[in-house]
Amino acid sequence: MWKVLSGVLLGWSLGANDSANIFGTGVATGTIKYRTAIFLTAIFVLLGALLEGPKCMETVGELSTLLTIEAFYCSLAAGITMTVLTYFAIPASASQAIIGAVIAAGILSGTADFSKLFKIITCWIVTPVGAVVFAYFLHRSLRYVLDKTITNITHLNYLYSTGIIMAGCYGAYSLGSNNVANVTGVYVGSGLLSAGMASLIGGLSIAFGSLTYGKKVMMTVGKGIAPLDPFSAFVTILALSFTLHIFTQIGVPVSSSQAIVGAIVGVGIVGGLRTVSAKMVAKIAAGWIITPVSAGILTVLFIKWLV
Amino acid sequence: MKVQELMTTKIEYVDADKSVYDAVEKMVDRRIRFLLVKFPGKDLNYGIITARDIVFKVLAKGLNPNDVKVGEIASKPVSCIEKNAAMNEVASLMEKKKNARIFVCENEKIIGVISLMDIMAGALIMRARGEHDF
Amino acid sequence: MIFEKILSLSKKEHKVTDNMRKHIKLLCNACSLFGTAIEKDDRSLMRDLIDIERESDSIRREIISKIYDGAFLPYLRPDLCRFVEIVDHVFDVLEDTAHYYLDGKIPEQIKNECIRVAYLNSKICEMLLITFEAMLKGEDLREKTLAIRIYEKKIDDIKFSLIKDIRKIPVNNFWEGKILSDFISSLTSISDIIEDASDYLQIINVSMK
Repeated sequence: MWKVLSGVLLGWSLGANDSANIFGTGVATGTIKYRTAIFLTAIFVLLGALLEGPKCMETVGELSTLLTIEAFYCSLAAGITMTVLTYFAIPASASQAIIGAVIAAGILSGTADFSKLFKIITCWIVTPVGAVVFAYFLHRSLRYVLDKTITNITHLNYLYSTGIIMAGCYGAYSLGSNNVANVTGVYVGSGLLSAGMASLIGGLSIAFGSLTYGKKVMMTVGKGIAPLDPFSAFVTILALSFTLHIFTQIGVPVSSSQAIVGAIVGVGIVGGLRTVSAKMVAKIAAGWIITPVSAGILTVLFIKWLV
Repeated sequence: MKVQELMTTKIEYVDADKSVYDAVEKMVDRRIRFLLVKFPGKDLNYGIITARDIVFKVLAKGLNPNDVKVGEIASKPVSCIEKNAAMNEVASLMEKKKNARIFVCENEKIIGVISLMDIMAGALIMRARGEHDF
Repeated sequence: MIFEKILSLSKKEHKVTDNMRKHIKLLCNACSLFGTAIEKDDRSLMRDLIDIERESDSIRREIISKIYDGAFLPYLRPDLCRFVEIVDHVFDVLEDTAHYYLDGKIPEQIKNECIRVAYLNSKICEMLLITFEAMLKGEDLREKTLAIRIYEKKIDDIKFSLIKDIRKIPVNNFWEGKILSDFISSLTSISDIIEDASDYLQIINVSMK
C-alpha cells in the first residue's frame, strides 16, 4: 500500500501548482479571500474527483498493463519530472508526465497500447486551442447579452463577484474530475485500487495540495495570468472549467495550465490584441514534448535498475 | 432651455466712425467674428458688422479698408430677442433673418448675444438632459 | 423582480451610491448658493458655504470608509474613491473662493461676469449629477460628457476676458490685487475640476464592460 505514496505526492504537487490557475485571478484582484479560495478549491476538487474522477482513469490504465510496483515508479517519475521542470520554469503538465511514464513502462513490458495514445495526444493539442475558442466566443456572446440586459454597475458588480467565485468552484470540480486520473489512475490500472478508492485518495491528495499552497505564489501566478477586469476574469475561469469538464467526458486527462493560457489568449483576442507570442507557443510545444519524454526516460531508468 | 443660459455676455464693440481696418484689427486680436457698432447720438443706436460684411463688401471688392467707415457697411437695426425666449424661437428667428447671431435685449439694453454655435451647444445639452423639445 | 433579491445583497454598494449622489447634490446646492450670494452681495450666505464644505467632508469620509469596508469589487474601488476626492476638491475650491470674496471686494465692472460664471458652475454641476446617474445605470456617457465640456468651454471664454479686464482695474496694494486675482482663478477653476470628475465617471463606466 505504501506504493500509493508516490501518487499521493504527485497529487499534492498537482494541487499545489494547479489551484492557482483557478482562483489565482480572483485572489490577486481581491475578489475572493485567499483562505476562502483554497478552502473552496479543496472541497470542490474532492467532489469532482469522487463524482467524475473515474471517467479518465480508464484511459490512463489502458495504455499499458502495469504491475503495482511499476505504477509506483511511474508516479514517482512523473512527480520528479514535474518538480524539475517547474524549477526550470517550463510549464509542466501532470497529465503529460504520467502518460509519458505509463507508455514508457508499457514499452518496457511490451504491453503498450499505442492506439489510445493518438487520441490522447490530439486532446493535448486541442486543449489550449479549444480554450482559446471557448473563451473568445464566451466573451463575445456574454458581453452581448449583458449589454442588452444588465447594465447597472451595482448589479454587474454583484454578478461578477459571485460569478468569479462560482466559476472557481466549478473549475476546482473540473480539475478534480479531470486530473485525479493522473494521480492515482495507474493504481487502478495495476489493480491495487478500485476506481472509487483511487478517486478518494487522489482527490484528498490534490485537496491537501491546494490547502497547503503558498499565498504569495498564488498572488504571483494570479497577477501573471490575470486579465485585469472582472468580466474577463470570470470568462477566463469559466472557459477553463468548461474545457476541463468536456475532456473529462471524453475521458482524457489534460493540462489545466495550458487551458488557462488558452483562455487568457482567447479573451485577449477579443480586445484585438495579438497576445499569442511565438515564445508562448514554443514554450507550450516544448512542454508537450519534454514532459512526457523526460517522465518516460525516468520511468525506464527506475524500472530497469530498481525492479 | 432659455437663451439666457448660453448667451455670451461679453460683447466687443466699435464706433461707427472708425475705419474698417480698425474693426479688422480688433476682430483679429480678440478672435471674434463680429462687432457691435455704436452709432453716434444719445439713443442706443446699434448696428452689427461681421467678418462676412468685411470680406464681401470691402476686401473682395478691392476697396481699401482704411478708406471705408464701419458705419457704411454695418447692418441696422440689430435683431433682438428677450432673455427668456426658448432656443427654438431664436433658431427660427435666425433662419428668418438669415443672421448667424441674435442679440439678447432687456429694457432696450443689449445684455448678450446668441450665436449658431450656442444654439448647437444648447441642443446637445438638452439631449444630454433628456429633454427633447427643441 | 429578481433584482430585488440582488438589491438586498448589494446593501453596501447602495449605501455608497446614495452617499455619492448626496455628495454631488450638495455641490449643486453650494454652487447655486454661491451664485445667489454674489448676486445679492449677501455675506452671511457666503459664509454658509464654509459649513457646507465641512458637511461635504464628512460625507466623503463616510463614502470612502464604506467602500473599503467591502463595497464594490476591489477593481473599481480606486476609481470610485478618486472620483469622490475630485468632487471633494471642488468643495474646497468653492470654499476658498468664498473666502476671497469675503476678504476683498468685487469691482462692479466684473460683477456681472462673475455672476455668470457662478450660474454656469451650477449648470455644469447639475450635468455632473445627470452623468453620475447615467454611469450608475451603465448608459453611454458620451452626450453627457460633451455637455459638460460645452459648459466648461463657455466658462473658459469668460475666464480669458475676465483676466484681461481685471488688469484694467486699479488696486490700492498688492494684496488687494492678489485677492482679486485669486478669486477669479479659483472661481473659474471649479468647472475644470468638475470636467475632470466627469472624465473619471467615464473611466468607471468603461471599466465594467
